[in-house]
Order: sequence, then C-alpha cells, then structure tokens
Amino acid sequence: MIDVRDLRKAYGGIVAVDDVSFSAAAGEVFGIVGPNGAGKTTTLKTIAGLVEPTAGTVRVDGQPADAPETRRRLGFLPEASPLYEEMSPLSYLRFFADLYDVPRDVADERIHDALDRLELDDRHRDRAIGDTSKGMTRKVAIARSLVNDPDVVVYDEPASGLDPLSTNYIVEFTRELAAEGRTVVFSAHDLHHVEAVCDRVAIMTEGRIVASGSIADLRREYGRTEYHVYTTVEVPDAVAENGRYRRVVEGMDDVREVESAAAARGGEVADIRTVEPSLEGLFLELADPAASADRPEA
Amino acid sequence: MRPRTVLRIARWETTKGVGGLDRGAVAVVLAAAAFVVAFGVVGLVGGVALEDGIYRVGVDEDSPFHDPVAADDALAAVDPSPAVVDEGLRPGEGYDLYVESGPEETRLYLVRRDGEPTDKSLAALAAFRESVEAYNERRMRSEANEIAAFPVVVTVEFVERGTVGGSDDGGGGTGGDGGGGEGGGGDGRDDDGSLPSTGGGDGGRFGAPSIGAFDLFGTAGTSGSPSAIAPPFPFQSLVLAFLFVLPLNFVIQAYGSSMLSERLDRRGELLLVAPVSPAEIVAGKTLPYAAASLAIAATVVAGLWLLGAGAGPLSVLAVVPLSLLFLASTFLGAMFARSFKELTFVSVTVSTALTTYAFVPAIFTATSPVAFVSPLTVAVRDLTGAGVTPGQFLFATGPPTLVAGGCFLFGLGVYREEDLFTQRPVHLKALDALAGRIRRPRSLALVVALLVPFVFVAELVAVALLFALPVALSIPLVLATVAVIEELAKALPVYAGFVNGFLAEKLSLLVQVVGLPDVAVADAAFQTGLGSDSPAAVAVLALAPLLLHVATATVSALGASRDRTAFAASLALATLLHLAYNLAVVSRLV
Repeated sequence: MIDVRDLRKAYGGIVAVDDVSFSAAAGEVFGIVGPNGAGKTTTLKTIAGLVEPTAGTVRVDGQPADAPETRRRLGFLPEASPLYEEMSPLSYLRFFADLYDVPRDVADERIHDALDRLELDDRHRDRAIGDTSKGMTRKVAIARSLVNDPDVVVYDEPASGLDPLSTNYIVEFTRELAAEGRTVVFSAHDLHHVEAVCDRVAIMTEGRIVASGSIADLRREYGRTEYHVYTTVEVPDAVAENGRYRRVVEGMDDVREVESAAAARGGEVADIRTVEPSLEGLFLELADPAASADRPEA
Repeated sequence: MRPRTVLRIARWETTKGVGGLDRGAVAVVLAAAAFVVAFGVVGLVGGVALEDGIYRVGVDEDSPFHDPVAADDALAAVDPSPAVVDEGLRPGEGYDLYVESGPEETRLYLVRRDGEPTDKSLAALAAFRESVEAYNERRMRSEANEIAAFPVVVTVEFVERGTVGGSDDGGGGTGGDGGGGEGGGGDGRDDDGSLPSTGGGDGGRFGAPSIGAFDLFGTAGTSGSPSAIAPPFPFQSLVLAFLFVLPLNFVIQAYGSSMLSERLDRRGELLLVAPVSPAEIVAGKTLPYAAASLAIAATVVAGLWLLGAGAGPLSVLAVVPLSLLFLASTFLGAMFARSFKELTFVSVTVSTALTTYAFVPAIFTATSPVAFVSPLTVAVRDLTGAGVTPGQFLFATGPPTLVAGGCFLFGLGVYREEDLFTQRPVHLKALDALAGRIRRPRSLALVVALLVPFVFVAELVAVALLFALPVALSIPLVLATVAVIEELAKALPVYAGFVNGFLAEKLSLLVQVVGLPDVAVADAAFQTGLGSDSPAAVAVLALAPLLLHVATATVSALGASRDRTAFAASLALATLLHLAYNLAVVSRLV
C-alpha cells in the first residue's frame, strides 16, 4: 500500500532524510522510531504529501503521495494539532469532510461514529474547541483524520502530550484501525507502545534507517540475549542483590565461567534467568551505540 | 481551480470565527466604521462646521451689513444695544464686534481689554471683512451687466511643468482689455459672449473643481478677482482617499491576521494535506476580504451618488485594483512575516506605501497626467464628471492589477509546508517566492514577466513622487531610481535579467498613450522621446536598451556567480552603468 523508495529530503545544505526505503501493507501497523531529529516527521510528512522529496519516490497504491487522489485516501495526524479553536468539533469536522467531498449525511454519520469510538462526550461536540481539554482536542484531530474514511493513516506521535490513560486508549485505537484493514504508519517516542502495537518497525537515526523489520527479526539480528546468573557467593563483576550476587553475561560459555568461579569460592549458581532484548534496548543499541556501550549493566 | 472548493473555503473563512467574536469588539468596530462614514459624508456635504456662529456681531437689521453677517455661518448677527458702546466695548457684553451704521459713515467697535483690542475681536473683524467682500462679489456676480461688475477679467490656465516655455497654445492670456493675450479671449468673453465661469473643474481654470451639479466646496461663489486665484486644492482627492482607502486598512488587518494565524502553530498544515491546492486555499481565504473591499467601495460610491455626485460603476471598478493590491501585498507580507509583531510592521508599511501610491498622484488630478499613476484618479474624474478614456483607465488600473496578481503568485510560491511553518529569514523566503515559480528553464520567463509590472509601477510611483521637485533635481533622482529599480529587478532572477528590463520598457508605449511624456520627468524616466529622431536613430535607440540590459545583467550575473560581496559590487557597477546610459540618453532627448 505504501512504498517509500530511496527517499531523500534536504533543506538547503541540511539532509533531513537520506536514502530511506520501506513499505507497509494493508492492515499493517508500521512504526518509525528514532531520537529527535532522526527524520521521522519529515518521512511521515512526505508520505502525507506535505513535503516534496528532494529525491526518491513515495507511492500510495502506486500513486504519487501528493496526487489529489492519494490525499483523498489518506488520513494524517501531525504531532501538534492546533485546531481552529473558535470552531466547535462538529463544525470543524464537517468543514474538513466538505473538503474531501463527503456528502453531509455520510459525513455526519462518520463524525459521530468516530467521536463515539473516541468517547468524546456529546456535550463537548458543540462547544468551541478552545474550551476543551488537550486530550479532547487530540481526539477531535484523530476524528478529523478519519472523516474521509482513509485507507492509509499516517500518525505522527498520536499520543503526544497525553496522560497515560488517553495514551493507552489512542494506541489501542490505532491497533483497531489496522484491524479494519487500513495501513497505519506512525511514529512514537514511547517504545513500549510501539512494541505493543507495531507489526514492523524502522529505527531511524540521522536521517537514515539503521534497522527495520518485525520486532522478532530485530531481536534476532541486532539483539543480545542476556543471562542473569545469581550466585550464593561473590564472583567477579557481580552485584549484590537480595542476599545473592547477580552477574549479567551473554552466552552459555560465560554462564559456565560464572559457575566455575562460584564453585572455586565455595558457592554455587542459585538461579539463571534469560532476558530477551527490548525494543528500547535495540533502539539504544542502534540509534546511539555510544550510549549503549556506556550504560550500566543492571 | 475549482470554484466550488474555493467557495467552501470562503464560506468557512467567513463563518469560522463568528462564534468566537467578542460582541464588544464588534460594537467598537461598527461604531468606528459608522464614525468614518458619518465623518466622510459630513465632510463632503457640509464641510467642517466648527466655526458656526463663533463671532457675535452686533448689527441692526436695517444696516446694509446685516445681510453679509447673516450669510456667513461663522458670524452670528446679534441685536445691537447702543448703550454698550458708549464707554467702549468690553469683554462679556455679548459682542465680539459692533457695527454702527449711520447715514454718512459706519463705525466698527472692537472689544478692548486694557485699551487693546482682544484677539477674538480682531479675528471677528477679519471674518467680517471677508464676509462683506464675498457678499459684494456675489452681488456683483448677480448683476445683469457683467462687464460693469467685472471690468477686468483674468483667465488662468494651469499647464504641466514639462510644457512650460514650450507651449504655444496661448493659454494664460489675459482678456478684457480688448486686445491683450493670444487666444485668451479678446474681449474677455467666451464665444457666447458671457464671461468665463470661474468654478469649472476641467482643469483649465482656477478654483477647486466641483462635482458636477453637486457643489462640493461651494466654488460657485468663488470670487473672480485676482486675489482669489489659487491652484486647485486637493481636498476632493483627500476625502476620496479617506473614504476609499481608510476602510481597506481594516480589511487588510483582518486578512493579514487570518493568513498569519494559519501559519503560526501550524494550524494550516491540515488544509495542505486535504485534497485542495494552495491556490484554492488562498483564493477561498481571500475571497471574503475582496468581497468586503468591493462592498465598501460600492457603498461609498452609492452614498456619493445619493448625495448628488456623478459617481458610477467606473469608480468602483477603479478601486478594485487598489483593493486587490492592498490584499495581495498583505498576503505576501503575511507569508514572509514570522510573527504578529512582524505582520504589524508589514501591515503598516503596506498601508503607508499604498496609501501614498493611491493618494499622492491623485492630488494632481486636475493638473497633470502623472495623476493617472493612481487608480484613485479614475474615481476622482468619474466623480467630477471629467471622464476617462479607455487608455487612461488601462494605464491607471492595469499595473496595480498585474502587481497584485504577481504578489499573489509569488506568495503562492511559498505557500507550502517548508516555508509556511518555518522561521526562515525574510530574505530567504523572498528568494523562495521567486524560486518557487522556477521549475524548469522556460518558467524563468514567467518570473521575468511577473516582475515587469513591479518595475513599471515602482518607476511610475517614483515619477509621481519626484516630479514635483525642481526639474534640475528631479530628473537625476528619477534616473538614479530607475537604474536602481531595474538593476535590482534583473539581479534577482539574474539569468533572465536583460529580458526583464527590455519587457519593462515595452510597457512605456502605454505611457505615451496617456500623455505622460508631456511631463519632463516622466519622459526622462521612460525615455519616450524617440519619435523625434530619424528612423536610424530610433532603431539605434530602440536596440540600445536591450544592449544595455544584456551588459548590466552580465555584470550582475558574473558577480552573483562568485559570492555575495562580489554580487553587491557588480550590482552597484551595473546600476552605475545604467545610470550613465540614462543620463546620456536624456541629455540627448530632453
């Protein structure tokens, strides 16, 4: 559904996105993660047709991203969603539905359906948007991205600035959109949510994708399975923990070495726990290898 | 562009803020608008009446001076009380001046304090004298035997500065002495034997022009005596500028705010994602303000028409380009401004510059073709019944319309995510606005074509602003200004610079249509005096500008290809070359 090939975007002499390629299929949630300034937002805006690529192509179902027909099938939610505060949610959403040539009766049905799903109270629907909370404003912005019943949804930090309850809700909602057969591409800072929702992920840094694939693929390819070996006596490089000593190692050879060291000191291995790499760990590893090397082992 | 989409956006632009409008603010705006209209109408119809009855004059009803006093709004005739003057007139006795008419003589008593006449009493005396003089003039004018009333008549014709000394039409001759003056009217009468009117407004005779039968300034009573001769005062233009231009300032403030608010906080980002083009968005957002401007102009014209002025659709049509220019300049400014603070600066600059552009040339409506630089002149002439030729209309309204279109197109060049929502410096955005139109080599021609009206209008405004100076000063200044404007315009899209200047000069043909070359300064600016040379000289002089622009554009381009300092130096050199050429041509032609 979405096909990004060799995308490059430069602002003057600054390259924001460089040689980025990925694709996302219908019903799939594709996440883009990376530190600030990695090029996530520029990539999403290029898919939404907001930003013209310097090089490369972005196609949605074979059509250029900035083609009017593509825009009709796409719902975009920017990271910040300052709406027209003087308008009510209903008038605001009806205006956008109008721009997408959605008939009024269909638009009203979709708007109320979206607002119902987003649990926006009836009493807030006719009030000025400026008088509602930030969470409600975000819900109106999400509802706006759905007024045209899009096949492709591009969300940039959909839960940005929201409380945990609203964040969970919106993340789940994103999953629902994919379950309805829509292609969802989104970026998020909260890697737990990305891990929970995304089928595939691209990790970006300095404008480039440094790794992409399913979480399992990334773990296999880039992750390190850690073994937490607990001993009854102190062994080199171990830390005391609840009356025992824990040493983190990678690989069974290291486990056996700890076992020998404990035995040499008159102790034994009390427990061994296997810890799979988290997305956060992968992210730190790939996005900022220096930080990963420096982080404490615990 | 889809009209339906534009109308949707226009409707949204009109209604989106309705719920959020503060009633108090609306009331203040409406009150201000009502005040503007009322002040304008009162100013037009009755003039300023602050002096009504300010001087109290004691004069008997039987006195021959009673009627002059009663006819003057500034004087209030008060029944005389002879007792008060027996021991001298003092303050607080109900008089500023006392007229005692006797069979042999008339005595005037001033109010004195410590033996000295008071200032107000002296002012009352001066007003009284003027009133009596005007009264006598009116009496004489009503005499059947005009020759007896005005044995000497002076006819004054105002001529353009450029033709001073070169005119051979006999204008300005004196009549009435039976033989003096060429063409001035041998015996002081017109062909029909009557005396020439002194209140006509066709620019040929003195006195402020009247608006047809609608005697706006009371000129029908203007004295024909030499002491009353004065150049036409531009009050009419002033009032019209006030009525037409002032409301535009309210409109552009609202328009600029709306445009900028789309940019701040990225509010307009979602519109760009929708399946509508930037042109449709801008057109839709502009339409309500353009309609409001048109409605204001139509209301003003309709009001003047109801008051008896000869206003018609032509006046409205003349103001439309001006409204568009206000809106387009504001749009471009709002695209460049990075904050409301900068927008305020832009709005004030736009307002001041365009008001000057509209108003200053229109001052010379009755005296100089330079007036047609401003579209407002068309409205003034329409209101005065003077008439406008199609060429004059095109000359006055065409360039501002084209410039407005250019501003909108350049603004659309930056109506994209990369420029709308970033804090790029203004000069980079200006370059983006130009570059936004250049997508392929041949589109350079479009940029060049878009710049031509800007160059043309800038040069016309320079002429209008500078022509009032002494010719020895104004011509070099105009030539220098022209050189700077053209070289700057060429240097921006430097690759096609010479074409730009060449095209701009082709528009000078239009200058000749409206007679602007009669003004020496305009002739110097547009170098339209080619017709007086031999065909060979004409050919050389016609090609010379092209060669000049090729040369100066090459110089600028060479500098631009190096660095900013070299570009500035090469631009200065190109400007000096241009100026030298202009001086050489003008010294040959003027």
